[in-house]
Amino acid sequence: MSTLIDTWRAKLAYQGISLGIVAMFASAALVVGNQLTHDAILKAEADDLASSLAQVLPAGGNDNDMLADTVKVGAGGTAVAPPVTVYRARKAGAVTGVVFQRAERGYTTDIVVLMGVDTEGRLLGVRVIKHAETPGLGDKIEIAKAKWILDFNGKSLAEPAAAKWAVKKDGGVFDQFAGATITPRAVVKAVKGGLEFFAAHREEILQ
Amino acid sequence: MTGFVATAPLASPHAHSGGRVTWVMGKVMLALAPATLYGFWLYGWPAIHLWVITILFSLLGEAFCVRLMGRRAIPVLMDGSAALTGWLLALSLPPWAPWWLGAVGGLFATVIAKQVFGGLGQNLFNPAMVARVALLISFPVPMTQMVAALPLGSVGAPDFVQGLRITLAGMPNYDAVASASLLGHAKTELSRGIDLVQTFASANAPALSFIGARTGSLGETSALLIAAGGIALIFLRIITWHIPVAMLLGIALPALIGHAIDPARYLGAGTHLLSGAAMLGAFFIATDYVTSPNTRLGQLVFAFGCGFLTWVIRTYGGYPEGVAFAVLLMNALTPAIDRLIKPRIYGRDRKGKPMELPEEKA
Amino acid sequence: MNARDIFKEGIWTNNSVFSQMLALCPAMAVTTTGTNGLGMGLASMAVLVCANVLVAMIRNFVSPQVRIPIFIVLIATLVTLVDLALNAWLHDLYKVLGLFIALIVVNCAILGRAESFASKSPVFYAALDGIAMGMGLTLALTVIGLVRELFGSGTLFAQASLLLGPSFAFLETTVIANFNGALLMVLPPGGFLVLGLLLAGKRVLDAKLERRRPASADFSNAEAA
Repeated sequence: MSTLIDTWRAKLAYQGISLGIVAMFASAALVVGNQLTHDAILKAEADDLASSLAQVLPAGGNDNDMLADTVKVGAGGTAVAPPVTVYRARKAGAVTGVVFQRAERGYTTDIVVLMGVDTEGRLLGVRVIKHAETPGLGDKIEIAKAKWILDFNGKSLAEPAAAKWAVKKDGGVFDQFAGATITPRAVVKAVKGGLEFFAAHREEILQ
Repeated sequence: MTGFVATAPLASPHAHSGGRVTWVMGKVMLALAPATLYGFWLYGWPAIHLWVITILFSLLGEAFCVRLMGRRAIPVLMDGSAALTGWLLALSLPPWAPWWLGAVGGLFATVIAKQVFGGLGQNLFNPAMVARVALLISFPVPMTQMVAALPLGSVGAPDFVQGLRITLAGMPNYDAVASASLLGHAKTELSRGIDLVQTFASANAPALSFIGARTGSLGETSALLIAAGGIALIFLRIITWHIPVAMLLGIALPALIGHAIDPARYLGAGTHLLSGAAMLGAFFIATDYVTSPNTRLGQLVFAFGCGFLTWVIRTYGGYPEGVAFAVLLMNALTPAIDRLIKPRIYGRDRKGKPMELPEEKA
Repeated sequence: MNARDIFKEGIWTNNSVFSQMLALCPAMAVTTTGTNGLGMGLASMAVLVCANVLVAMIRNFVSPQVRIPIFIVLIATLVTLVDLALNAWLHDLYKVLGLFIALIVVNCAILGRAESFASKSPVFYAALDGIAMGMGLTLALTVIGLVRELFGSGTLFAQASLLLGPSFAFLETTVIANFNGALLMVLPPGGFLVLGLLLAGKRVLDAKLERRRPASADFSNAEAA
């Protein structure tokens, strides 16, 4: 048999055909693999989103599937200001709070915060979900590194007053970190912007 | 800095200047002394303790490596290069930094940045600057905690024991003595949308002073004394004018252009030259024999690059000061510069081709 | 060739990171903690074993002219499958390693083993070699990760329970509490520094072992190295 293989292997067509057969088997394996994992991956990603949404809401604050109850709100939905997806938490049908993302330019790139707001515009919780701030300096905005982000809980546009929505260095009420002022400043700005966004579109969001 | 290879002379010339590494290092230290002493007076005992510790650990790192290689440590330490490295590093640290910053920095400079490459004369990068950058990246908080100057003998200045406590145990109430260096202040204010004209018009802006009674590390407070020491080195023929002049030009030219276009966004040339480690870098760091190119033209290119990159990093980068990064980047280019810019061989043109002899007319 | 030699080669004398200097991309990029190093090592090992077995199975059918594309197709398929599986069932780990799983494809250590060992060996030995090389790689990545983690954040095996399940939570140790860490170690330059120092350490150790060994050393190893 090996001699037969040897004579075939020298032929030009053998190269293409053997590569083709291997590629066929590989594709088949990928199709099967994709089938097997497709649902699990979707579920894992949905769980991921749901658990981050749950972080900025009080425990037991909702009984609906927030991932299905969304509304797209936006300033005209232009390319510059794309519509914001707002997730609504409901308890017994009534909206108890909403969750949406907000981004602001930090020290290096955009800091993305996820914020939960109740119907009165009070903050239920804020988490930073994406950032590239300097490790050890700016990364104290992560809940895993410091409790700083919890300072926002319960704040609203009225409390503290608009002028006090700043870090202490700029005369506001929020702490800055040793060696990093820009990062907390950006987060404060993002959260304030988010609250203003909520106030401007409150009717639209809560309808 | 440079090492003299002691092999049997094979071909002329045999003239020897009589200079030795130790003497060169000694003269550089002498030139650094006025600025250092002034810094000591300005920042008091903690700065002195930090300086001693940094140099001590530089020597320790060097001795450890030399012993590891089975050689005797004392003759190597006596060349003074490790002490000078420690000294330069100490000048670039915040004066009231904790002791371990100097210790880790000193060890890093001599062990990782110098001896790993093979010791004096073999290192690709300036050891003091490698250590400074490593510290800055590793420990950004203590490396950026600058204090306001509190001269020796003035009210509230720490005495010897208090100074020791600050160096060994850390600052008890940092907020009371905190201060921002000029470059750092300009960068933070700019980032929150306050332009430079406003920043420096306000009362609490860091003052720019040529004499140097202002916030910063030891080596960046007194541009005047550093420059004086550097010029003395030029007259002592330890260094030539090429690198300092080209590096300062490299900072000043883009700064001049930028400031002329938009004074609200770009700092002026004078501010750039007198702030941060510009002077220290130009006279004492970029001029390191080992890590700078060999030819005069190469040195000009190298130093202009150092200056220009410093300006770029200060203006657009994430860190307020860029001398250390700039010097390291250009250090990495030094072999390439030396390869591209070679001294002309006698009888050949710059490309190494033999020159055409004028044809003799019969 | 025997099993003992294969394991000795894979784990120590011909370690893919410390001796062959291959797989440096994952060695630098993901080894910020011991757990990440271990996870990457195990994922690479799974690919390595499967790739070795498959290559050894089809070694008689593959002609030398198209062997490289065939090996690459096989390895890429396996990596994609591992990527999907991790995303589906170890999602938290996937969020950490995700970006680098795809890079296992271009990990020279895997193609290198397929080319230099599996394509010339029976399936059983190829599988053994895959396990041995994978163990060596896992060992290297874990050790680099541990050293960087210790100096960079003062912990050992942080978040190990994410990778190995809650029963391995005991591995998570905080060596120095409230330690801010030398960030350099967690950043890419730290990877190079630690790898360099570990390499030096291994050389020193090897030199010491060499000196201790009697003069009549076997030459098979010397040649292989």
